[in-house]
Amino acid sequence: MSHYRFLIVLLILVWGLTGCAPAAVAPTSAVVATQPPADAELPSAVSQTPADEVQGKLVIYSGRSEALIQPVLDAFKAKYPQIEILLKAGSNSELANALLEEAANPVADVFITTELFTVQSLATQDVFQSYLPADADQLPAEFIGQDLTWIGLTRRARVIMYNSELVSAQEAPKSIFELTDTKWKGQIAAAGTTNGSMQAQIAAMRQLLGEEATEEWLKGLLSNEVTFFGGHTDVRKAVGSGEFKIGLVNHYYFYLQQAEGSPVGVVFPDQGEGEIGLITNATAAGIVKGAPNLAAAQAFMDFLISPEGQKLFAELNYEYPLRAGVPLRQGVQPLEGFRLAAVDVVKAALDFEATFDLMERVGLP
Amino acid sequence: MNTLDIKHLSKRFANAEFAAVNDVSFGLKNGEILALVGPSGCGKTTTLRLVVGLEYPDAGEIRLNGRLVASDTIFVPPEQRGVGLVFQDHALFPHLTVYENIAFGLRGRKPAEIRATVNEMLELVGLTGLANRYPHALSGGERQRVALARALAPRPVLVLMDEPFSSLDADLRRIVREQVRGILKAMRATVIFVTHDQEEALYMGDRLAVINLGRVEQIGAPEEIFHAPATRFVAEFMGASDFLRGEATPEGIRTEAGWLSQPTFVSQLAQVEIALRADDVDFELSEMGNGVIVERFFRGAFNVYRLRLDSGQVLHAFKEHTQILPAGARVRAFISAGHPLAVFQNGRAVSRGVMNG
Amino acid sequence: MQRILTYRFVATPSRKSPASHWLAIAAGLTALFVAIPLVYIFLRAAGAEAAAWQRLLQARIWQLLGNTLLLVFAVTCGALATGISMAWLTERTDLPGRNILRAMLALPLAIPAYIGGIVHLALLRPRGGLIPQALEGIFGQPVLTPSPLGFWGSAFILTLFTYPYVYLLSGAAFRSLHASLEEAARSLGRTPWQTFWQVTLPALRPGIMAGALLVALDILAEYGTVALLRYETFSSAIFVQLAGRYDRSAASVLSAVLVGLAIFILWAELRAQGQRRFTQIESNWRPARRIALGKWRWLAFLLVAGVVSASLLVPLGVLVGWSIQAFVDAQVLEAVFRTGSRGFSSFVWNSLWTSSLAAFLAVVLSLPVALFSVRYPSRASRFIARFCQVGYALPGVVIALSLVLLVNRALPFLYATPLVVVLAYVLRHMPQAVRSSESALNQLSPSLEEAARTLGRTPLQTLLQVTLPLILPGLLAGGALVFLTSLKELPATLLLRPPGFDTLAVRVWFWAAEGFYVQAAPAALILVLAAALPLAFLLRREQIFTDESANEHS
Repeated sequence: MSHYRFLIVLLILVWGLTGCAPAAVAPTSAVVATQPPADAELPSAVSQTPADEVQGKLVIYSGRSEALIQPVLDAFKAKYPQIEILLKAGSNSELANALLEEAANPVADVFITTELFTVQSLATQDVFQSYLPADADQLPAEFIGQDLTWIGLTRRARVIMYNSELVSAQEAPKSIFELTDTKWKGQIAAAGTTNGSMQAQIAAMRQLLGEEATEEWLKGLLSNEVTFFGGHTDVRKAVGSGEFKIGLVNHYYFYLQQAEGSPVGVVFPDQGEGEIGLITNATAAGIVKGAPNLAAAQAFMDFLISPEGQKLFAELNYEYPLRAGVPLRQGVQPLEGFRLAAVDVVKAALDFEATFDLMERVGLP
Repeated sequence: MNTLDIKHLSKRFANAEFAAVNDVSFGLKNGEILALVGPSGCGKTTTLRLVVGLEYPDAGEIRLNGRLVASDTIFVPPEQRGVGLVFQDHALFPHLTVYENIAFGLRGRKPAEIRATVNEMLELVGLTGLANRYPHALSGGERQRVALARALAPRPVLVLMDEPFSSLDADLRRIVREQVRGILKAMRATVIFVTHDQEEALYMGDRLAVINLGRVEQIGAPEEIFHAPATRFVAEFMGASDFLRGEATPEGIRTEAGWLSQPTFVSQLAQVEIALRADDVDFELSEMGNGVIVERFFRGAFNVYRLRLDSGQVLHAFKEHTQILPAGARVRAFISAGHPLAVFQNGRAVSRGVMNG
Repeated sequence: MQRILTYRFVATPSRKSPASHWLAIAAGLTALFVAIPLVYIFLRAAGAEAAAWQRLLQARIWQLLGNTLLLVFAVTCGALATGISMAWLTERTDLPGRNILRAMLALPLAIPAYIGGIVHLALLRPRGGLIPQALEGIFGQPVLTPSPLGFWGSAFILTLFTYPYVYLLSGAAFRSLHASLEEAARSLGRTPWQTFWQVTLPALRPGIMAGALLVALDILAEYGTVALLRYETFSSAIFVQLAGRYDRSAASVLSAVLVGLAIFILWAELRAQGQRRFTQIESNWRPARRIALGKWRWLAFLLVAGVVSASLLVPLGVLVGWSIQAFVDAQVLEAVFRTGSRGFSSFVWNSLWTSSLAAFLAVVLSLPVALFSVRYPSRASRFIARFCQVGYALPGVVIALSLVLLVNRALPFLYATPLVVVLAYVLRHMPQAVRSSESALNQLSPSLEEAARTLGRTPLQTLLQVTLPLILPGLLAGGALVFLTSLKELPATLLLRPPGFDTLAVRVWFWAAEGFYVQAAPAALILVLAAALPLAFLLRREQIFTDESANEHS
């Protein structure tokens, strides 16, 4: 009969687990609510409302991977201990389409992307509400969306990183078009079509070079047996360990890998005369129309472009802050020295669908 | 008033070629044990299930103590009929003890009454010491008695038993059925007992109903069924081994094995069959005889001989074990019964057999 | 006259027990619930623009079809070869250490294939893996090692984590095999080898077929492992469509093809199942005699030990090692416990409560279906029971796709709640519950229920007082199975989870996708242990853990 008893215990366990689910969640929020505001005496940099008065939840959809946004959320949480931050990280397009799907029944408050085309495209589809964050005048004008629908946060450059034990600085490709050179066959890693930065690079190239040249370049990558990973962290680690000689990444992945002590070098490509220049893009954020937690969303937007928030991006992730006067992390090459490719964000956003068609036609994984 | 009355009961299952129960009618007096007997698939179990309410009849009526429980328009579910059923596989609840099994049907009564009834039942079936055992810890015979006690405990108006001994070994079966009959009679229970074993039916039943292809072939006292079968089927089922063809007149029957001087109901010359058991036939060696010995079977106390008459008709005959005759020997076979025999025309009795004699 | 006619008309339906009507309605509703995602996907696919179809038909579908079928075929064959040989060695030979190996061979079921893939990838990744690096350290130059990536790597790793299905089912068949069957073959002039091929294996066919079916459907639905190992199949392509472009039409088209493929496999199995009526010889059951392996004993042992190592010991060992590393490093530990919106304990809690609730709901929903099909067999009830197995053919990513679209429109209050995740688990894993409940009911003699009726219980009372208590162990087994597989579920959870809601599986996946293996390890280890508990319960029921002497006396 011990058999039966065992079963009954199991059954009770199942019942208990399912039955007390809501009951067990409730105390968690109660604890949060009664916590004394830890940083209440610190001067709040920009917020219109005192930090300890903003409370409730803040739902963030982030195209930035969790590892790259979590430290910023933690810092925000330290300032606003009453806010419970709920994050859903995913690809830009997945979240963008979720926002469109939810338009009548909004769930998210703030959307953060890793490139401008998605926010721009969403802005034209009326997904965001206008908000002028405090200190927005500190951002370059081209990084504020029309009608204040979105704001830029940081800039990043598309670079070539290489394993310096396997490839010398001279040998390393100086242009993204060298990546189709058969000399590198099977030795290049890049991110696949789900990655926003890669999507944006292709969109930018379509604008700079036209459809045909871009298609040819993509086909060149495929026939050169480039390995496409789900994300750039995999790429940088693979290059760092020597699994691949060359990686096509955002610039900070090089610094992150270098910080781990790997033998890696970097090329900011296409700087020669007549070349397209360094392709850059920017991360951005906007407040969703009908955001359930507007006050928290506004406080968060303010924080993202506050000196403190911008410094976090620069320090923790080696990015180029858009706010004037926030210093780069030591060792990061300033963008001022490079010739940058000029891309019209509004036009690229309009052509974004065509970029997806192109990737699919070519069969990019 | 009869405890049970069944009138024109019929039941046919979907996709079945024949009706499982076909226009069956019978009644049962208080305290009577009726044995329903017949080959497997003959409809006897379906009849039981109709009475207890586990099947819906297509036609006919069932009355319990005069109350209509099943008809075209009325169907009383089993839990409201008060009919006890002892299942072929006993169907003891494995998650309940012997005590709890027996008490299962007593729900709603006072605790003291339940305790008294269960203990009384346990004593009646001789299982007082096993009250707290679970069914898996019981022997086959003990399970049988628990099943009976469980069915009897609520004092049902009628107890139905569906081949209750079929899961027991032959030796055990003989012992248990004596006990069970004793218990049933002690309780003065009204019982329908289903079996495919004619010997068991003869033992258990106050009356027998022989069923074939969903119909009642004959209903009556065991001796009547045995000695005066109403149909060829009943004769065969109750142990007749051979059917000897013959030509009947009102005075007697002419057969290949000689003249049988026994009156029949036939009005004119008719082809009939005489039901014979091996003890009704004898033979002697004779070159001028009417058949040959085909085979001998040794049965310990006696020998059974299979004979083939010249027409091809096969008969079986007993001889004592000392007398051993070779196969192939020519013999003269003859009917040696000292009593009237059952005679059938087109499968129906045209002579009443021994009861008449 | 009119009155009487009406009365008779009403009376006629009551010839079937009224309880069966309620059951039929409940079972029908369950089937309807199960049908929703299926129907929706086909409607969406049919409604997709011709352009989407054309685009996909031109190149993608054929290539994906080839990739997917190749992988399904390779893994099914691999799992059959591994599963049957392991079952034979542990059940039928004098393999050393067979009693402990027998249980260990089944335990990889607790390890999601993507976690096994993560471990093998970290170990074997060309040049970057721990083993190639160690070899390079020893020899001073890169040594070529087998790669876990691509087709062969995926096939190898998926075989390692799916063979237990075949192993368990054929092992059970080996155990129940009657000794006299093989003895008869030997007495009729067959050598042991011929006997195995002509008698033993055919007798095991039902179990083997069922195992192969589970493996094939599992591979069709597999997302995490193939994505990790960079092999593109239908499931991963649908996921890319959803994550990369969020092209619902294209995703629907691919899903419809995938579901069609799965339904075909399911149909083939059901057909095969229909022909597998083997009579069991009840009396004098006696296990078949063990074969002495002689000088092959230790070689066989090495083979089994190799399988156990690759599928169980190495993944567990590496996870434990990483977990220790995580606990030693304060910074990593901090990261492990603070990640996500609500911290580590919330993943554990979320995993447990969603899987438990899914198990409970799946079992409850399976009951009317099983009762209807077992107690009132008819064409309709059989169809409903079969139909409720369609979840097998609905990969997680397909269920997620249909729920994303459906819930927001039809049930907006459910949108972005964890209940959608639970719903996906229930839909996906309902077949396991239905099968378990059916087999539990099949083993319960209907006469027990009839006995309760004759002893004064209504149908409902009978269900509560007799049927349910007696089939409870079987229901729990079904629940344990649903719990186990829900715990491991990845793609539907990834797509459907609300903001801030993480499960162990999702967390492990995120960490590992970023290459943070050490951070992923504690969550992965807890996931495996949580899955091992219900598995142990199931294996005990299957008598995998009972030792030989007990087995032979039973």
